[in-house]
Amino acid sequence: MLRVRFHGRGGQGVKVASRVLGTAAFSQGCYAQDFPLYGAERRGAPITSFTRISREPIMERGVISQADIVIVMDETLLHDPMAMPLSGLKKGGIVFINTSHSQEEAGAEYKITAWVITLDLTKIGIEMLGRNILSTLAGAVASRIAGLEEDSLRHAVEKEMSDIMTDRELIEKNIEASLYCYNAIPPVEIKTSGTREAGTVITMPFETAGVSSPAIYAIGNTPLRKTGNWRVFRPVWNYDACTKCMMCAARCPEGCILVNEEGFPYTDYENCKGCLICVEECPTKAVKGVLEVHA
Amino acid sequence: MEKTPEAAPVRSIKDLPSEENILPGTPVCAGCGGLLTLRYCLKALGSNVVIVNAAGCFTLLSIYPFTPFKSSWLYTAMACAPAGAQGVRDALDVLIEKERLDPEDDLKVVVLTGDGAAYGMGLASTSAAIHRNLDFYYICYNNEAYGNTGFQQSEATPFGSKTGTTPPGKTSPAGKDFPEKDLFEIWNSHKPPYLATISPAHPVDLINKFKKAEKYRGPKLFIALSPCPPGWATDPSLSVKLAKLSVDTGIWALKESVYGEVEHTYIPKSFKPVEDYLKLQGRFAHLFKPTRQEETLKRIQEMVDDYWNRYKLLL
Ligand SMILES: Cc1ncc(C[n+]2csc(CCOP(=O)(O)OP(=O)(O)O)c2C)c(N)n1
Ligand code: SF4
Repeated sequence: MLRVRFHGRGGQGVKVASRVLGTAAFSQGCYAQDFPLYGAERRGAPITSFTRISREPIMERGVISQADIVIVMDETLLHDPMAMPLSGLKKGGIVFINTSHSQEEAGAEYKITAWVITLDLTKIGIEMLGRNILSTLAGAVASRIAGLEEDSLRHAVEKEMSDIMTDRELIEKNIEASLYCYNAIPPVEIKTSGTREAGTVITMPFETAGVSSPAIYAIGNTPLRKTGNWRVFRPVWNYDACTKCMMCAARCPEGCILVNEEGFPYTDYENCKGCLICVEECPTKAVKGVLEVHA
Repeated sequence: MEKTPEAAPVRSIKDLPSEENILPGTPVCAGCGGLLTLRYCLKALGSNVVIVNAAGCFTLLSIYPFTPFKSSWLYTAMACAPAGAQGVRDALDVLIEKERLDPEDDLKVVVLTGDGAAYGMGLASTSAAIHRNLDFYYICYNNEAYGNTGFQQSEATPFGSKTGTTPPGKTSPAGKDFPEKDLFEIWNSHKPPYLATISPAHPVDLINKFKKAEKYRGPKLFIALSPCPPGWATDPSLSVKLAKLSVDTGIWALKESVYGEVEHTYIPKSFKPVEDYLKLQGRFAHLFKPTRQEETLKRIQEMVDDYWNRYKLLL
């Protein structure tokens, strides 16, 4: 059995990616299982989803703690202690990273000893689909690594996209972009063993409500969470064009745009989620969205 | 029943109160129109509040051990935030009566819910609270569906919208094939002291409505049409623009009611066609592609025109 885990952020298409892979495997006669795991968070927050593929009926259930293939759709998650995408990767397993770095660079940067494959899905998504939704691209990469056929992928993208959109043109673009990604990855051999080691079951003791229900005594401490790594684009101000009207600061849902000593607006990049309402709302077009390049 | 004199109105975006009572780093989506609405509401309400939040996206705001609020916050089940507010209000009143709380330090009790709770599950408990003249605020951020659980239809979902449970198909090509409830009218039939619709695109109107509401004892109710990027299938950067268009097309009427007497607070000089608003959103994409659903588009425009004709405000 192949166990594949996808890591990305809400809105990037993590759930659909695992589904494209599952459908591709199913359409060439395999058994397949796919499902997402949401935290209590929204678009931009870390999301994991899973696909199991096997020639035999799949009796295993629950999250995949030991993966043969890990697909990292958002590079910033490699630093995220909550996401920990590499945990439980099996010996001989493969890591795919969506990055502008080469395999060697990424392996060295993130100190990964497993086999690393890289491709800049974000760039391909923006260029070929016009947006940073990577579901079909990541599904394509995973299909290639899992050794599935090109036709199965084409069929899966067609089917899954038709289920969620009516725009034929966009469906075609997704097929084209996914096949491009599929063929950009050289075929690989996965050297993991098919069996899974027994895990330990953690039981939670029963506690009274006073102990088990969470109470927060702090005041306004969410800035510590640093949602800045949700961004795909960062807002950048051109002070030559800015008239200090403060429209951006007023319209920011997060309230993270502040005023500097000279009276110009700037954002708290530690927490700015990159919604770019400031770019849209600035009357003099003094704010631009610039693609983030991570680490 | 006047409580305090009305504060001077805010005139422009530059005059918005500078205080922030909700801080960055929340787990809600980038570009959430509901969050922008809440940020403005809390500028008006200050930090001496207790928020009673029914299950929905905004219950994610405080997740142990983090909170974005400078004030207190309590989580209730979906249907019963107004009942929770009654308990909090009673507790505060008891403390004041026993002289354990200085009336100066009294807190405003604020219910915060989505439209799933406000228009549907929580309607009975809200009706009862208004009926009892409970002294509280109610803010409904209306994203026109059950956002938190993946955008299923609610009783606020408009005609023609695609949601998880109203997929456009052969039997209902329009998606949801009947219109939303008119919660403003339902609440208004109780003749509450203050009731208003608000928009995150019109913060000056919003703040002034809160300032006006402040002087009334009893229910002070607010409904905000709040763009929701993942549910509406829109780019997060467009949330303010969409909120503006909802008002400029006449889809979202900005109005208020004092003891049942309704007045519009902003009437667009010329109404934009509803298509300008609809065509930017993925949840309405099926109305335009692969073929234009002329009948449906016409009906949406007619429903808006009928509304303004009813008030004789269509110029
Ligand atoms: C009685 C009950 N049924 C179902 C749920 C599950 N649930 C949690 S949030 C939610 C959606 C709430 O929708 P809405 O009130 O519109 O708020 P939004 O999620 O859009 O913010 C649902 C159905 C619940 N908490 N309680
Ligand atoms: S799903 Fe919609 S309403 Fe909920 S947090 Fe996200 S943008 Fe806001």
